[in-house]
Amino acid sequence: MKKLPAFLGISMGLLASTVPLHAWDATALLDVLPTAALVQTGSFSPWMQSETTEVTAQVAASHTQPIVEGLSLSGTLWGMADSLPSQSPLSTPPTKIDLQSRILELKLAWEAIPGTLIWDAGKKIIHPSSGFFRTPLNVISHGALGNTANLTGSAVGTWEEGWVGTDVTLLVGSFTVANFFSPRLQWSSDADRALQYLSTQQNDYQNLTRVDLRLGDADVRLLGLLSTGGPGSVDPDLHFTAGAGVDTNIGDAVTVRAEVSARDSQNRSVVASDQPPLAVTTQTVSWAPRALAGFTWTSKDQLSIMAEYYYNGLGFIGDDYARLISYSQTLRSSPGQGPDLLDQFGDFSAARHYGFVRVSGKIDDKLTAAGWTTVNLQDVSGLTGIVLTLTYDKWTVNASFMDAWGNTDTEAGLSPLLWRVDLEVSLFL
Amino acid sequence: MNRMRFVVVYAGLALFGTATGLFAESPQELLARVDAKRYVPDLSFVMQMTSFDGDTQTDSNTLWGFIKGVGARNRSLIAFADPASVKGRKMLMDGNVVYLLFPKTTNPIRLSPLQVLLGQASNGDVVRTGFSEDYDVSSLSETDREGVACYQFALTVKDSRKDASYKKVLLWVEKESLHPIYAEFSTGDKLLKQAFYKDYRPALGKDLPFQVDIRDGENPQSHTIMAYLKVGQKPVPDTVFRRDYLPSWVPEQPR
Repeated sequence: MKKLPAFLGISMGLLASTVPLHAWDATALLDVLPTAALVQTGSFSPWMQSETTEVTAQVAASHTQPIVEGLSLSGTLWGMADSLPSQSPLSTPPTKIDLQSRILELKLAWEAIPGTLIWDAGKKIIHPSSGFFRTPLNVISHGALGNTANLTGSAVGTWEEGWVGTDVTLLVGSFTVANFFSPRLQWSSDADRALQYLSTQQNDYQNLTRVDLRLGDADVRLLGLLSTGGPGSVDPDLHFTAGAGVDTNIGDAVTVRAEVSARDSQNRSVVASDQPPLAVTTQTVSWAPRALAGFTWTSKDQLSIMAEYYYNGLGFIGDDYARLISYSQTLRSSPGQGPDLLDQFGDFSAARHYGFVRVSGKIDDKLTAAGWTTVNLQDVSGLTGIVLTLTYDKWTVNASFMDAWGNTDTEAGLSPLLWRVDLEVSLFL
Repeated sequence: MNRMRFVVVYAGLALFGTATGLFAESPQELLARVDAKRYVPDLSFVMQMTSFDGDTQTDSNTLWGFIKGVGARNRSLIAFADPASVKGRKMLMDGNVVYLLFPKTTNPIRLSPLQVLLGQASNGDVVRTGFSEDYDVSSLSETDREGVACYQFALTVKDSRKDASYKKVLLWVEKESLHPIYAEFSTGDKLLKQAFYKDYRPALGKDLPFQVDIRDGENPQSHTIMAYLKVGQKPVPDTVFRRDYLPSWVPEQPR
């Protein structure tokens, strides 16, 4: 693999550059990802299995600097070198290594009234969801950065970019209200060639209001999001998203959580014809809810079992789902005849009902193990993974394996991904 | 207080079930005085928490944080400062409700009481115990522990704290100084933890045990030493002990 020496040179350079960051927290990740997937050598050529190895190096550096009492500046910078961002051996980066970087967060935080009134300005990530494998309440999320495989089953990736805006939080008694406003940020494609290494553009004006309250032992969360692209944008309409969630303990060993969110109108592509010639139309769905319910149980032996159910109101069911599967089978045998519809809502999210189970435990003081599976409850196909983690004071090693399983008339069975391995070394500096 | 007086108190307890009204200071009041000797309101600290299996060190963490209140009303914010692999984790302990915030995430995870009890955080629970706030004195006697004259309190959790992890406590308190020196925390039937309070030093107008050695009840070879490296006082409003404040909290060392 000719790319490796150059890649290692760059990644070692990135690692070395983090060493002198005195008083900063830095994390460096090196991932080696062997993958088996179905690929096409041309638009109309048949699918064939291909094994590839993607190598990535990521570095993130964070710092929080108190300025005066109650006023602080904090930020996180992230960079990545990727040998195969497309994850296809047929599409390698023109410069051998694809480089990305972003300012993930950079904000000034001021406690105007200590512990009561907090004002943040800058770039910030807001994730109100308590869900693990799906997160209905993370209504403003850029998703994981870097196209790096997430083999833990978690919906939230290691690093994500925040939104530029201003957030005001008021905490009174057992009640919290917060409001985040982020403006639309657009710039020219010329400017984007330089700014892409600092920040992505923001397509919409967004105003997210969150209310949190403690009722007895339960934490209750309500949110409302107003967003609009405004004049001149691709989507100038005003949209509203509402959400609610609760989590609490039951007895000594169980935590439970439930949440739901719904947006006023969302588009989805539906199958007009599942036989050649394939045809697709766009449909608008009003108030399609996304809901999650789950629990985590912990035993006295430090064994932990997490189970979650996810309802995807935008997903397909019944005849619509059968047509989607039939369409995808036709597309598999007649490549290039139409767009892929299975992944239109994200990975493994085309159906209405999903389940998730994760079992984890400590093997000894340094070694933990976890096994997880995500199941499409409509066609009983899924993804299954195993994660082993060895933790030391300044570094960890993760070995992960993920396998997609199911017949060829199921969602996972139709996924181009067959299996993936991730060997990851993390250094904490 | 002389030995005869305690014989009388003990007899009083046996006869009437309570000593209240018979003497100037009841066992519960004495216990409150034991707590008051070491209670610092709004304590901020840097703490080293080191775990051992026998003589072999298995884990070590440095924590920054502060505590408000005592016993059932106790709440604390804790940040992991070292080692690097856990640096940046923040924890809010509000009675039996505990939240953990991992670095790179913004929503604190809620832990079950059992998860807390199984982790090192439960050792903090032992350190933060306000005996008189959480427990009633079932019996009080005088004894000798390793050559030191002690009061021995047998404590039973109050009805209002039935959700507490430890239903019963046996507590040895040095008579002369009123310093707790040893305690056994149990379910009543099963010993869960043993605590050895050591290295008392004057700080912030009180006598603080700068080191507490906590041993596992089932496996005494497994133990954790919690040692204050630095203490101070930081008055904070109640609202900082909210889940929603945790992401905004910027940990600082005591001044």
